[in-house]
Formats: sequence, C-alpha cells, structure tokens
Amino acid sequence: MFKIFSSIRKEFLLLVSDKVGLALMFVMPLLLVFIITIIQDSAYKIVNENEIPMLVVNHDQGNGGEKLVNLLTSSRLFKIDTLNNLPESALKKELLARGKMIALFIPPNFTSGLESNTGQISHMMMADMGLETDSASNRTEKLPVLSFYHDPVLQENYSASVLGVVDSYLGTIEKTMMIERIYADMDIASKSVKLSEKMASNRVKINQIVATNSDSVAVPNSTQHNVPAWTIFAMFFMVVSLGSNIVKERVNGSFLRLKTMPTSFMLVMLSKMAVYVVVAILQVTLTFSVGVWILPKIGLPELTMPTNFPAFAVVVLISSMAAVSYALLIGSWAKTQEQANGFGAISIIIFGAVGGILVPSFVMPEYMQSASKFSPLHWCLEGFYILFLKGGSWHELRSVVLFLGVFILICQICTYIKLRIEKII
Amino acid sequence: MYKGPSIQIENITKRYRSAQEDSLSQVSLQINQADVFGLLGPNGAGKTTLISILCGIISPSQGYVHYYINGKEITEKQRRSQIGFVPQEYAFYQELTAKQNLDYFGAMYNISRQDLSLRTHELLTELGLGKVADKEVSTFSGGMKRRVNLAIGLIHKPAILFLDEPTVGVDVQSRNAIIKYLEKINSTGTTIVYTSHHMSEAEEFCNRIALIDHGRVVTEGELSDLLTENNATSLQSLFIKLTGEAYRD
Repeated sequence: MFKIFSSIRKEFLLLVSDKVGLALMFVMPLLLVFIITIIQDSAYKIVNENEIPMLVVNHDQGNGGEKLVNLLTSSRLFKIDTLNNLPESALKKELLARGKMIALFIPPNFTSGLESNTGQISHMMMADMGLETDSASNRTEKLPVLSFYHDPVLQENYSASVLGVVDSYLGTIEKTMMIERIYADMDIASKSVKLSEKMASNRVKINQIVATNSDSVAVPNSTQHNVPAWTIFAMFFMVVSLGSNIVKERVNGSFLRLKTMPTSFMLVMLSKMAVYVVVAILQVTLTFSVGVWILPKIGLPELTMPTNFPAFAVVVLISSMAAVSYALLIGSWAKTQEQANGFGAISIIIFGAVGGILVPSFVMPEYMQSASKFSPLHWCLEGFYILFLKGGSWHELRSVVLFLGVFILICQICTYIKLRIEKII
Repeated sequence: MYKGPSIQIENITKRYRSAQEDSLSQVSLQINQADVFGLLGPNGAGKTTLISILCGIISPSQGYVHYYINGKEITEKQRRSQIGFVPQEYAFYQELTAKQNLDYFGAMYNISRQDLSLRTHELLTELGLGKVADKEVSTFSGGMKRRVNLAIGLIHKPAILFLDEPTVGVDVQSRNAIIKYLEKINSTGTTIVYTSHHMSEAEEFCNRIALIDHGRVVTEGELSDLLTENNATSLQSLFIKLTGEAYRD
C-alpha cells in the first residue's frame, strides 16, 4: 500500500512542479471558454437578435409602398432607413457609402401596377361567375418590379432569407388588395375587412420542437458547445505534461532503474493514469462550474447539465482515459521532450479542428464530417452532445464508448510495444 | 567475512537484434563477496552491456548468471531486493527534492515508512546532502547530483552494488566523498562491481579487475598479479598495452 501511495505521490509532485503544464491544463480551457463563447455569442446575437439594417427608397405614388415599408418595420427584423428622394441610379453608391448591407427600391408604379393586376384578376373572376363589372376602370399596367440591392459580401442564403421575408409581406399586400377589389366589384366593399382578418388569423402555424430523448429543452448555443469542447481540448493537452514526463523518465534511465527494483512497471503506469484521470475530472469540474455559475453572470447562456448522471460519469471517464492513453502513446514514442511537446500539441490542434472543437462538425463539408470520425476529440464531444442536447440515452452512447474504447486499446498496445522494444517492460 | 562467490558469470554472449557482431562473447567471470571488482575497457567494449545483464535490465543471448549471498544462491526475485544499481545517467527526478527521490525509490524496494525516513536521513547526511535534503535536485551541482544518484542505489542496503561510471564529471571533493563512502560499505561486506575510465581511481579503489575489449575478457584477476604478469607499472600502462593506442570513438 505504501508503495502505491509513494508512486501516486511521486506523480502528483511531478505534476505540481510543472507550472506550464498546469497552466495549459487548467487556465487555457477557462480562457478559451470565456473568449470563444463571448465571440460566438455576439455573432449569434448579431444574426438572431439584432435588426438587419436596410435602406429603403420608396418612389411609389400610391399607398402600397408605404404599407410594405410599415410591414417590414413592424416585423422587427429590419432597421429601416428611408431615403425617398434618392434616384435609383444613385442607390448602389449610397448603399455602399452608408455601410448598409441591403437596400430595397420600390418603383413609382408599385401600387398602380398591383391594382391593375388585381383588377384584371377580379374582372376575370366576375366574368367566369357571369357577373358584370365596370370594364372602364380596368386600366392595364405591367406588374411592378421591386429591386433588391445587396453588398457582395452578403452570403447567398442570407439574402435569400431576406428576400423570402419581403416576398411574404408582398403576398400579404397582394392578398388584401385582391379581396378589397373583388368585394368592391361585388359592391360589398365594407365586408372585406372581416375576410382579410379571418384569412390572416387562419394561417397554418409552425411549432418549433427540439428533438431530444428527454424532456430537456437545452438548445445548442455557444455555451453548450464551447464548455465541453474546450474541456476536451484541454484534457488532451495533458500530452504536454504527461508526455514529456514519460520521455524524461525514459531518456534519463529512471524507468530502467525501476526495472532493477522489486516492483512492477504496471504500478508506475497505473499511478500515472490515476493521477491524470483525476486531473481530467478536475478540469471537467472547473470548466463546467464556470459554465453553470460564472457565464450567466456575464450575460452568456448558462450551461445546462445533463440529467443522466451515470452516463455523464461514463463519458467523462472514458474521455479522460482516451486523453491519458494518447499522452502515454506520445510520451513512449517521442525521442525527445521537444518532439513530445511539439508533435503532441500540434496533433491535438489538428484533431480538435477536424473533430469539431473549433467549429462544430455539422457545419463542415461532408468529406470533413467523414474525416472527423477519425478524431478521438470528435467522439468525446459527441458523447457530451448526446448528454447535453439529446438527453443522453445509453443506446446512443454505445458508438462513442465503442470508438473511444478501441482508441484507448490501440494507444495502450502501442505504448506497451514501444516500452518492450526499449526493454523497459 | 565470507569470501566465496557473489556473482558467477558463465559464458555470457549478447548480440543486439540489429547488430552484426556480438556485444559480448563468451564472457565468464567470478566476482567474490566483498570484492571491489573493476570492469574496465575502452568505449564500446561491452562494459555497460555486461552491467545491464548483471542487473537484469537486458537478457543475455546465451549463458547464465548466478548470484549468491553468503554462499547461498538467490532467486531472481530475491536478486532484485539484494542488488543496487547506480547508472551513468542521473536516473532520478530533478523536479523533486533529494528526500522525495529517496522516499520514492525506497518505497519501491518495499522499505517501510519508518525505516525509510531514518535511512534517507542517514544516507543524505553521510553523503553531505543533509542540509539540502529538501531542495529541488535541479538546483544541485553535478557532484551533488552524482551523490543523489548513488544514495538511491544504496537506499535498501544492497548486498551487491553495480556502479556504471559513478564519478564521471564530478569535482575532486565529491569524488573523494563517493569513493570513501563506497570503501566504507565495502568494508561491511558489500560487493561492488564498478566501471570507470579513471584508471588511477580504479587502481586505488579495486582489488580485482577484468579488462574487456571487443566484447571479450582480455584479462582478469588481482591487480598486482596482472601488473606483474604483463610487466606493467600502472593500470593505465597495462590498459594501453592490452587494448592498444588507437581511438575508440
């Protein structure tokens, strides 16, 4: 027992003497969680909460253009800046000069064109029903064309979304005008208001439901991604501390010296694993506590903890073991400390980028999503996603446990082989 | 004091996996209890390979090694508790203090907590490290580190001690302290097997030597007998006579 205690104590003393390693393992994830969450959250707010600045030039001589502007304003999606005296030819220049991303030009014939169109449709309906209308009032005018200007940096799907909103409001105006015109032609214009209201309230609603296996209402946000992501990243960064310790012990002969003693080398390796698994658990405790208690205090989304605690413990434990096993692998194969630190750190950054730590893998192209499956960090993150966002069923965690189990096994076997080659075991 | 065999080496041959030649070839030696046995030879002669085999770090390709304590052969398991090994490198943790290093390695020898505390204090004091016992070893001079390296090998009071160039790169005072302490433990019956490139130190310290070159024992025996047999005035002249003047890089 004293032997085990001494071995664990030695690993602990080596760990606390490595100040840089400790900073990388405990300070780095906290800084990354704060910085990246703040950045991502502000970007998220820009897209989802802020009004989109839009320049509107309304040359319409009727009231349809004004109605459209009012609808766009009341939607609270846009921050409308009107400049009705501006000629269309100067709009492009003005858009860029004012730093707006989008502009809408409403032509002079907007209302008259729409009225002409609704008049023609109403006339056709009346004729089909055998009713007479005042054909003299049916002026024929071309359908108006709105012009939508946008900055070239604006993404295609973003402008398509804005166009969709404008188009939806145009439809509303057209429908209202159509009802008014048909009712007017039937000499019951006063009754059209009731129908318009009914049609407006009769629209099919869309319920937005988050698909999870539990009653959890946690939605993907910057905190739910960044806290587990950077914790995993920091867990694997223990390669700098643990990996270089192993290289030192290999190179300076400590391991060989142990071979001459009445002790098992397994004790040395198990002590290392035990200490660093505890380190990983402390990392999780620290960063997750920040996510739950500190981030909401600075206006960032709160981390919603999973409800399936045993599954959470399994994911933390297997992720820790994966990180420790990778550090053992690098430490046993690297020839120098510099090699262990350099290769270890760079490989973790690459694994992190590919595995969806920096950017979630679902926004990656398909081939990168396939590549991400080869990153252990991806599977660790996937485990946390299943816990946090999908309710964490054991069934879904099976693939995570399987992949990480295989990864741990491969790392441990490779470590064993190298230590055998060096006659340490 | 018992003077029978302590280590019996029988026809040891070692060839590394990728090597074309044997590192050791048909080496047979007898080292008696309480001997200070010098394993001498030029670079690449096979000294470290032989010590590594004797300590159980590597296995020989052929041959056997038998260990005895007071005439009784000991098992491999017992051997691990009875031998001490002081490698050429600083094979300990420079981030830890001298005391922490001795505590750790002592625990690996199954020494109880109480005994270890006493032994650590005793050893560090004897080797002039008592005042710096709680200082990080990385702050020590080369000589102090050598003494820590030696103390770790002696923590369990081994019956047989293997020393691979224990005084390389140290100052005169540290070398003197190390040799004096080794002479002291030898006088209590500890067998010492020692390699060095310091011929004068070996001449003064060892009672028996074996000269190894190209993996073979060139000569071995009592130092005075070897000098007489080979008509040499010193160990250095004997060494040059038997191994030649050519560089061994």
